[in-house]
Amino acid sequence: MPDIQIPSIDLGVSLQLLIIFGGAMVLLLADLFSGEGNKRIVGYIALLFVVGAAAAGVPYWDAPRSTFNGMLVLDNFALTLNWIFLLSTAITILISLEYLPRQGIERGEYYALLLFALGGMMLLAQGTDLIVLFLGLELLSITLYVLAGFAYPRLSSEEAAMKYLLIGAFAAGFLVFGIALLYGATGTSSLAGIANKLGSGLAADDVAFMLAGAALVIIGFGYKISMAPFHMWTPDVYEGSPTPVAAFMSVGTKGAGFAALARLLLVALGSQYATWGLILAILAAVTMVIGNVSAVAQTNVKRMLAYSSIGHAGYILMGVLSAGSPAAANRGIEGFLFYLLAYSLTNLGAFAVLIALEQRGEAAWSLDDFAGLWHRQPFLAIAMALCMFSLAGVPPTAGFWGKFYVFTAAWEAGLQWLAVVGVITSAIAAFFYLRIIVQMFMRDPVREISPSLDRNLMIGVGLAALGVIVFGISPTPVIDLVQGSVLALSR
Amino acid sequence: MLAHYAFIGVFFIAAASFPILPLIGAYFLRPSRPTEVKLDTYECGLEAIGDIWVQFKVQYYLYALAFVVFDIEVVFLYPWAVAFNQLGLFALVEMAIFLFILIGGLVYAWRKGALEWV
Amino acid sequence: MNILIMVIFVVLAAFTLAAGVMVVTVKNIIHAALWLIASFFSVAAMYLLMEAEFIAIVQVLVYVGAISILVLFAIMLTRHVTGEGVRQLYKRWWIALIVAAALFGVLIVPTVFNYEWAVQPSGAQISIASTVEIGTAFMREYLLPFEVASVLLLVALIGAIVIAFEERSTRRRVLTLAEEVEQRRQRNESLRLAPTTHASETSE
Repeated sequence: MPDIQIPSIDLGVSLQLLIIFGGAMVLLLADLFSGEGNKRIVGYIALLFVVGAAAAGVPYWDAPRSTFNGMLVLDNFALTLNWIFLLSTAITILISLEYLPRQGIERGEYYALLLFALGGMMLLAQGTDLIVLFLGLELLSITLYVLAGFAYPRLSSEEAAMKYLLIGAFAAGFLVFGIALLYGATGTSSLAGIANKLGSGLAADDVAFMLAGAALVIIGFGYKISMAPFHMWTPDVYEGSPTPVAAFMSVGTKGAGFAALARLLLVALGSQYATWGLILAILAAVTMVIGNVSAVAQTNVKRMLAYSSIGHAGYILMGVLSAGSPAAANRGIEGFLFYLLAYSLTNLGAFAVLIALEQRGEAAWSLDDFAGLWHRQPFLAIAMALCMFSLAGVPPTAGFWGKFYVFTAAWEAGLQWLAVVGVITSAIAAFFYLRIIVQMFMRDPVREISPSLDRNLMIGVGLAALGVIVFGISPTPVIDLVQGSVLALSR
Repeated sequence: MLAHYAFIGVFFIAAASFPILPLIGAYFLRPSRPTEVKLDTYECGLEAIGDIWVQFKVQYYLYALAFVVFDIEVVFLYPWAVAFNQLGLFALVEMAIFLFILIGGLVYAWRKGALEWV
Repeated sequence: MNILIMVIFVVLAAFTLAAGVMVVTVKNIIHAALWLIASFFSVAAMYLLMEAEFIAIVQVLVYVGAISILVLFAIMLTRHVTGEGVRQLYKRWWIALIVAAALFGVLIVPTVFNYEWAVQPSGAQISIASTVEIGTAFMREYLLPFEVASVLLLVALIGAIVIAFEERSTRRRVLTLAEEVEQRRQRNESLRLAPTTHASETSE
């Protein structure tokens, strides 16, 4: 028997990925062989895998390494992102467990697809090669197309899936074209390789190709993170998708898209900060203004959250692009990670409250439906209030620290005007977040709604709200975490 | 390399001319006396009823999609098979993993009944 | 040899273009799809002519095999549309012509004038990725994308089934032959009663 020559692959780097992908396969089989009407068990198994993957990452803290010819890394930056994604997915599973049967759309594939999407997100956080990033993004997108249409006899869900598919395919086209141009200009698809090539200087022709390619790649990711002017799809898709999926999309796609974009901008194109810095700063400002101003006019809370998520994309982008400037390199990354964690917890919490208000066939998402929630469901009202305060950036919530970090990063990067725009738009945003709180605590109920609050949903809402307030009061552990993550990305 | 493919080209032309030449020959040799019955569409000797256009069920599209997935799989199998001799045993393991993942999909489609003809 | 290759190239190029023109001009949409397949096929032959063996095979497998099947099935999913009597040109077709010609010009003019034609390859053989090299690269450098691609295909398959396939419990049971005959008899009776419903009945 011939010797097996095993290439030097460090499986530890991909351990979390293996657990998640393996878990997804197991879930598929578990779904096939579990009885009808009892798919909750599949969800619980999925939770086990998510927790297992989170634990599997612990030994790798502060031990950055890469494998697969440098295509996959596990540094502190990727590890922190992975944990954020795992936490988001865990909360999403918790809030879906009772939602799906209540809506009559319970199928076991749901959890398997969620784990596949999670794997795609982790690939985006860990990938350091354009091909891997593309595959990760496609894996994430394809699962989300399906998940968006999961409530499929409902027309709005089909519409959401259709819109997301068309826009997503379009964005993928931009991304692939951009990757091809970048490869043509530099002769490599690895991010570090591109940085090397740019450091040693390109021919004049190649610079044009490189810039065009970089622009197309940024546009491709811009669709995923719903950066203006590529944000148009967001409200319709979030509104039509099943609510837990909308929650997952609003934090997952965004976080993963930003993770890949951050690595691309800071590692591969770090030397070109002078070119993309200002352009992205303007886009971030436009995104914040469009998202928050449009949200003011919404009376449908789910739609309002969709617009506000566009606004938050602007704030996160502020952190990412500030990190490109040498003056705020660390601050920017810290701000990005802190903001992402705070935003993920808060948004999941807010969407979970919407789930509680959603009955079969009829959704109670208008502002009036929130009136007097405090008298009927104090727990939900308090959780929602905490989330709203956090989204608005009011201390002592996690959202405040996120905004604080991001604004100081922009200030240190010399983008004072951007920080000012951020503060002004936050003030605008505070109007519609606080309006909901006023409705909940100071108005009488307009019509009779009985929120359905089961145990799992309660755990999900409680976890999110608790995170928001605990990280708001004592942010030190998170600050330590994100500060540790910065060193890894030092070029 | 092109010389190898020249064979295929010649083969292709020969194969294409195989049905075309007799048809051309027949065109010149046959008597031409059409009647209405002769010009009618032949359908098992019965009179043709209805439209040739039938709307497919969505289910059929699923077979097309499954076919595409496994067709793409062949795209990956082909260079692996060509390079197999240089690769050593581990490549076999790698391909086994690749196929194993896709077989998971096949088992899934099978158990769901998506492969049943309706 | 070079003359022969030139001749083959011209024949293939002419055929590709002609097939492409047929795709947009024939009225029957099925015929358009068949012409599209023909044009894909001759593009594959062009790849072979350029010694890009692997791409030629992929072209045949993916485009001639998979994409055209999808196109044909998608056409068959629609209701009866032959395109007979449908206008193919709109009033302002000449604007589209100008725009298309301008775009083509932008692409072709710099290529023609800037590229140095008829340069013999310098002594070193240009490395053309052969199928063997691609196979080795998949197994060594690009192992991770290779395996992830398999996961991607799996997800695509699952997604297609989740979206398009109805659960067995909600689906119509497969009929036995006797039941089917009985059903057909009933349908024929209703046909005789109301012949106008014919078109929608047969579309099942």
